[in-house]
Amino acid sequence: MTVLAVDRLVKHFPIHGGLLQRRVGAVKAVDGVNFAIAKGETLGLVGESGCGKSTVGKTILKLIEPTSGRIVLGGEDITALKPGAMWPHRRRIQTIFQDPYSSMNPRLSAGTIVGEPLENFDIARGRERDERVAALFERVGLRPDSMRKYAHEFSGGQRQRLGIAKALSVNPDVIVADEPVSALDVSVQAQVLNLLIDLQEELGLAYLFISHDLAVMRHISHRIAVMYLGRIVELTDKRTLFARPLHPYTEALLSAATAPDPRRQRRKRAIVQGDVPSPAKPPPGCHFHTRCPYAVADCKVKDPPLREVAPGHHVACHLR
Amino acid sequence: MVAIADDLPLPPRRFSLASAIRRNPTIAFGGILLFLLIAVAVIGPSFVGDPLKIAPVNRLRPPSERWWFGTDQFGRDLFTRSIYGSRVSLIVGLSVAAFSSVLGLALGLACGYFRAFDAIVMRVMDGLMAIPSILLAIALITLTRPGLGIVIVAIVIPEVPRIVRVVRAVVLSIRAQPYIESAIAGGTRNAKLLWRHVLPNTLAPLIVQATYVCASAMLIEAGLSFLGAGVPPEVPSWGNIIAQGRTFFQIAPWSILIPGGFLALTVLAVNLLGDGLRDRLDPRLARRL
Amino acid sequence: MSGNPGAILEVRDLATQFDTLDGVVRAVDGVSFDLERGETLGIVGESGCGKSVTALSILRLIPPETGRIAAGSIRFEGEELTTLSEEAMKRLRGHRISMIFQEPMTSLNPVLTVGTQIAENVVRHMGVSKKAARERAREMLDLVRIADSKRRLDEYPHQLSGGMRQRVMIAMALSCDPQVLIADEPTTALDVTIQAQILDLMLDLKEKTGTAIVLITHDLGVVAETSRRVVVMYAGRKVEEAPVEALFDNPLHPYTRGLMRAIPRLDVDAEEGGRRPRLQEIPGMVPLLTRPIVGCAFAARCSLATERCRAEPPPVVDAGGGHTVACWEVTP
Repeated sequence: MTVLAVDRLVKHFPIHGGLLQRRVGAVKAVDGVNFAIAKGETLGLVGESGCGKSTVGKTILKLIEPTSGRIVLGGEDITALKPGAMWPHRRRIQTIFQDPYSSMNPRLSAGTIVGEPLENFDIARGRERDERVAALFERVGLRPDSMRKYAHEFSGGQRQRLGIAKALSVNPDVIVADEPVSALDVSVQAQVLNLLIDLQEELGLAYLFISHDLAVMRHISHRIAVMYLGRIVELTDKRTLFARPLHPYTEALLSAATAPDPRRQRRKRAIVQGDVPSPAKPPPGCHFHTRCPYAVADCKVKDPPLREVAPGHHVACHLR
Repeated sequence: MVAIADDLPLPPRRFSLASAIRRNPTIAFGGILLFLLIAVAVIGPSFVGDPLKIAPVNRLRPPSERWWFGTDQFGRDLFTRSIYGSRVSLIVGLSVAAFSSVLGLALGLACGYFRAFDAIVMRVMDGLMAIPSILLAIALITLTRPGLGIVIVAIVIPEVPRIVRVVRAVVLSIRAQPYIESAIAGGTRNAKLLWRHVLPNTLAPLIVQATYVCASAMLIEAGLSFLGAGVPPEVPSWGNIIAQGRTFFQIAPWSILIPGGFLALTVLAVNLLGDGLRDRLDPRLARRL
Repeated sequence: MSGNPGAILEVRDLATQFDTLDGVVRAVDGVSFDLERGETLGIVGESGCGKSVTALSILRLIPPETGRIAAGSIRFEGEELTTLSEEAMKRLRGHRISMIFQEPMTSLNPVLTVGTQIAENVVRHMGVSKKAARERAREMLDLVRIADSKRRLDEYPHQLSGGMRQRVMIAMALSCDPQVLIADEPTTALDVTIQAQILDLMLDLKEKTGTAIVLITHDLGVVAETSRRVVVMYAGRKVEEAPVEALFDNPLHPYTRGLMRAIPRLDVDAEEGGRRPRLQEIPGMVPLLTRPIVGCAFAARCSLATERCRAEPPPVVDAGGGHTVACWEVTP
């Protein structure tokens, strides 16, 4: 059952310049993205900085208005909803942020932060709210008596648990997790990843898991979408992605990633050269052709569409 | 189930006055000085004589045991007058700070929140800031009868833009904070967002800015009085005392130096307090402003 | 004391402390290691383990207002650095020992061109003419494989991409042929494909120049693929040291073992029957460094810990082949 579907999602940020602040161009942060997430499933969105993965997350949450395309949450089109009309839908889609330090108001107690959505949606108030918050604290592995403490009194991993408790408080269907473990140390990261997996299996949550870390992706995702300069270049189940990557960019990512295995250093890596072009001026044709070792003349002029080359395996490349 | 994560690592730090003063010497010094000056202004006048009592026999006496601060050209006791003068300065300083804070906070919040409103109001503020505040105040006062109230209004108007700018900048930076996005995603609506997440964060920079406004208001008031455009000349304010003493500066320098010194000391106290609070409340803000 | 003739840098019982409002922080607490000529030594650990402070201590870059090297010795080519004058240290830094940092933007001066900054360093340490220094700068940009080096010399740091800036930092660090390069999380701020380029470059240059590298990182993957020997740090102390293969094949310290099991693996398909496995967690958190730690620093989180671990500092156990571990409970 699909809980979230995104169809040809586009987000362009205008660039203003000149004396009159006229629009002189646009950063094509997200440039036509399609995917769907089912109940209980984790879709990983992986890519390097500036590929638009975080913008996808924020647009789906309607923290940013999409330029065009469709966002369907639980069968309802939320694309064009104004903030007021969007409000009731927020119960079904929640988020966990990357930075547990800045995503919590430093002036509020942990209990107030976690219980805020409960108040907002009039689910529980007063004592009932406190009881619910205490139960949430316990569920994510925090002491309920730490409710009165402030966010800065918690360690990084504990704050991420607070963020998870807050997201869970309204029983959402979907959680958008934007780099939820990249600010954490390895040993703490393991605790948070385990918690996320446990909660998903228990509650049937769907995750859109955004990360740049392929190893984390491989651990938590069911399916993975690889993004490059605002577009999805490959989308398939994780086993296929790691065993038989088809897009040259996916290949490059996998080859560039380090692994805790000293014998790998002997192996000669295929390293893509050059930098990611600016999303304000993406190259024509396939966005990756400037760095692609296999690029042919066609790649420089024609946009490769995202095609299904095998059941469930989508690739945007002329050569595959 | 998940293991209960370990307890928090930070031991609570005990509060002690001595260490608070040691850690914030500027706040302590400025605060104590200002407190003493306010105390003088509040209770001082009940212990001294009549500031308007003229005694031509004792004209322009230098400071001595009888007249601590000397006398002016009418033989009025400058000590008494200076004590009374502190009232005017502090009333003007504090009320201007209070009124412009309230007005500036409301306008600043609205500007940070509503783009159309922002465009209009900020241009008006820019316009106000382009006019020297003392000239604006003089212009406003000449329209009406001089008096303490009108002096306060005349200083509040040019001071408001300073507050609005600070509040607006803070609101804009807070709106970009992830915790605001987090609150919106959690279903927090505008009014509560403003009240619970934005407003409390503007208070610290607002208080800091208010201290500067307070200091500047006292200086402007003295300037206005000196120019004869402030409180009526019969009211003893530091500015009036200086204005009246200036003709006799060469033979009776104390009649200017003493009220001038009081004014400098008060402004210094308020500024020290402001600087200390700025560093204490938000070290990052201190670098940004 | 100095018994290792092959070592270019010998750190012995280094202790570095900082004064904070909560008390004295023992950021580095008795760390010893050797760096041999031309080798890459990895120092790995989680945030707050003291790895970066160790690097700053070697270069004597600890801010004197708040911190100090409280004990220990650092010998560079037999010369004691902890007691060297500030003048002599200045001649050493950026010349015979140089350093690159995590965020190149903050260590480059934004108002000077890249060429000027590299040339300045060369003029200061090598005493050559400005013209020769500029030529050297261009050579260095070629060496770090920046295309069109002549034009890049006149660009400002903000005109370069993150990867390019890190290349410039490396060019600057290597411009005076240092014997030791200290790299503090050099690729942490970079994207995966750029990280691969930079690591590749660093290893290549090490082959060419013979510079010994101290690579400080939190990333076990980076260490595995670049270092010859590895020092694992925890709470300001060295818990394990080993050649890289020995460390990854046979980690001995319970902390090292825990770390290895806590990281999700990219190279191994760990799924059994479609179920995602649990990662092994290390319970609890890093101890406060403001209180002196009696016994083993890891004891509070260690499943093997006994009374003795909590009471007495662990002995350094030699497991042979240069593999040492500070633990009461491990028998090699």
